[in-house]
Amino acid sequence: MATQTERRTDIGPPHYSQFLHPIIKENYGKWKYHETLKPGVLMHVGETGTIYSVRAASARLITISFVRFMAGLADKYADGYLRFTSRNNIEFLLANKDNIEPLIKELADNGIPVGGTNNAISNVVHTQGWVHCHSSATDASGLVKVIMDDLFEYFGSMKLPNKLRIAVACCLNMCGAVHCSDIAVLGVHRTLPRIDHSTLGNLCEIPTTVASCPNNAIKPTTIEGKTTVKVDEDKCMYCGNCYTVCPAMPLADPLNDGISIWVGGKISNARTEPMFTKLAIPYIPNNPPRWPEVTSAIRNIVEIYVKNAKPYERVGEWINRIGWAKFFDLTGIEFTKYHIDDFRHAGTTYKRSVQNRY
Amino acid sequence: MAGEISVEQLADEMYGVVAENAGMKKMKAGDLTKAMIAKFGDQVSKQDCKSAIKLLIDSGRCVYGYYGGSSIELPRTEGAAN
Amino acid sequence: MSDDLKIPLLDELEKGPWPSFVKDLKTLAPKKPMVRDLLRQLEKSYQDKRGYWKHGGLVGVLGYGGGVIGRYSALPDEFPGVSHFHTIRVHQPSGWFYTSEALNELMDIWDAHGSGLLNMHGSTGDLVFLGTVTDELEPTFRDLTARDWDLGGSGSDLRTPSCCVGPARCENACYDTLELVDNLAHRFQDELHRPMFNYKFKIKAAGCPNDCVAAIARSDFGIIGIWKDNIQVDQAAVAEYVDSGFNVKEFVVDNCPTGCMSLEGKELKIDDSNCVKCMHCINLMSKALSVGKERGAALVMGAKAPIVEGALLGSVIIPFMEIEEPFEEMHDLLERIFEFWDEYGKARERIGECIERIGLASFLEQIELEPLPQMVTQPRDNPYIFYEEYYEEE
Repeated sequence: MATQTERRTDIGPPHYSQFLHPIIKENYGKWKYHETLKPGVLMHVGETGTIYSVRAASARLITISFVRFMAGLADKYADGYLRFTSRNNIEFLLANKDNIEPLIKELADNGIPVGGTNNAISNVVHTQGWVHCHSSATDASGLVKVIMDDLFEYFGSMKLPNKLRIAVACCLNMCGAVHCSDIAVLGVHRTLPRIDHSTLGNLCEIPTTVASCPNNAIKPTTIEGKTTVKVDEDKCMYCGNCYTVCPAMPLADPLNDGISIWVGGKISNARTEPMFTKLAIPYIPNNPPRWPEVTSAIRNIVEIYVKNAKPYERVGEWINRIGWAKFFDLTGIEFTKYHIDDFRHAGTTYKRSVQNRY
Repeated sequence: MAGEISVEQLADEMYGVVAENAGMKKMKAGDLTKAMIAKFGDQVSKQDCKSAIKLLIDSGRCVYGYYGGSSIELPRTEGAAN
Repeated sequence: MSDDLKIPLLDELEKGPWPSFVKDLKTLAPKKPMVRDLLRQLEKSYQDKRGYWKHGGLVGVLGYGGGVIGRYSALPDEFPGVSHFHTIRVHQPSGWFYTSEALNELMDIWDAHGSGLLNMHGSTGDLVFLGTVTDELEPTFRDLTARDWDLGGSGSDLRTPSCCVGPARCENACYDTLELVDNLAHRFQDELHRPMFNYKFKIKAAGCPNDCVAAIARSDFGIIGIWKDNIQVDQAAVAEYVDSGFNVKEFVVDNCPTGCMSLEGKELKIDDSNCVKCMHCINLMSKALSVGKERGAALVMGAKAPIVEGALLGSVIIPFMEIEEPFEEMHDLLERIFEFWDEYGKARERIGECIERIGLASFLEQIELEPLPQMVTQPRDNPYIFYEEYYEEE
């Protein structure tokens, strides 16, 4: 322990090199190739050694007990070395190939699956939801749990046409940045902010609140002698920006908050350029604890994709090949007026040719 | 020239701006810097302003707040639970 | 106490094969009143279909404007354990590498000062400690810094930079993502801890165009590894793929986006002058193909989620740059960008929105970069041009 006389600040993160397995240190920047030995198990071959990575699933919301347990497994099988992936998986870094199966067995005995590599559905990235967020329109941890329970077979296998990335964000703030996933689950509000006129003037800066609206729907006003704001019903898109700057404008509406589903985004440059997700289903009511309508909608999309995509096509690439009309046709999802964009760059999404499949 | 006004004096000036606007406009670090440069011209540098803000915060005279964006505010009793 | 923890809706989330956060949290509930009340409040959210958290607040550690997010229950009388439930963002090591010893130390600190709940990791990359009270913030910070950990960013500051696994365990890494991110984090500590920007600013470093950290979608400033010369081909290994029955023609050659490759017998021919470095062939034939030798990165700027003006993907501001220690060129560039943003940005406007508002060409001029055709998908198709040069009569 450092002495408490000196308060340390601005030291930044500890240098990563102290956390690297000796084999990784030796082969840093000198890796030759890698192979996937089986779902969830990677072998990286370097100039002077080989490291095996065993990728285990994890909830994103975890406890110190869980982390201590995983650290214990790392001690037992991986010389104490492990890392986390950008999708909340845990990768044990093994020097000894013989430790792979005992580690997988001990993980399985404790309810932790191994997988998520190559043409699989990897862990779902998500936001805080009702567990910790003030603006969430749904929960995130629970949704991810039920979605992965349902799609479990695709985590521990590699039978999809390509990898499939799912993300959940509990409101349009998208702390989980779901705008570029193969399938995105996005919590939505659908009604106007409920303005607390009695406190708004004290809690919020009127000009900031007015300026926060991307669609100029908020105007200053006076109600019963109190300075407050009003919201133009026709212009409000329920984005929650005003609530972010002004706590007197909450959006939570148990009757109307729910889920929207988006498809066809990607981040990687492989084959095609990165793409945004596009709207598939505008609204599904919140139905906790297991959101059956959401899981069945996602399963439907996944199954149609598996059946129709060519090898190595991502969801968005497959849809671009067959056309959106066919996507709606194949999935049986209804196309509505909500699918047609009406914000900033809407015009670029209108069909500007007569090339259609009939 | 920059450096003619002491960092302590700048911090006092900034505190005045924060206090004056309290409850009306939340001042960002950039707002305070711009206000100082408007007032003192090239007698102050952006680095002086950074140092003054650090002094203001480290001394506890002001605190950082957050409502959709960060601001520098007067300390308040915690807007806690109740 | 825990025997009367009645959460029938959440109990439903213990079922099924995927790891259950409810099961995990229940193990801590008897020891931690905060976890117990978190589960009880969450149960109420599941019943009522709405969240019960209040908005932000003015909490932090002395001197920092980032790293702590204040959170309070909206129902403190009913759930006193979570009346305060603040988040602490701990700056993660590059590449999210840990030893069991380091993790155990961190868990001991969090056991002593907080709820014992956490995320490994948050969306930006930090190790996120979820749930503590205001009085525990300084003591947690003291114990963290005593063991060489610091806080990450939040609010209108430089957010905690993050990177992919890079050269630590990937043969595709075109530069040292881990070292660059560690370097930038230390170089810009002031920007990270003391919010001085118009809004958040995120940096993500990906070692190759596969972009495993989503730099193109989630960072205001993305550094994506790329090479300029030829893909390295091991023809003997190509022949092994062919002999193994892997359909090189259908899966690799026919999927090349520019059609720059062909298979002649067991030999793979690549017209590298037409290769766009998409990674597809290298991804599928790791043993036979690897990235070129003249390596660096493309820089992209402006990606963001929808809030406020709509989602953006990053766009190229530098098509190729060598990324070498001590990274001075990168420091200078970032300083010019911060200077520009200071001058032209508006409150709560991300830099991507600012660039769209003033125009990419003006932005490039301000940060002293030359316009290049690699920065656009096409030249403008509209003739409203702001000409700045013209002749005058002698």
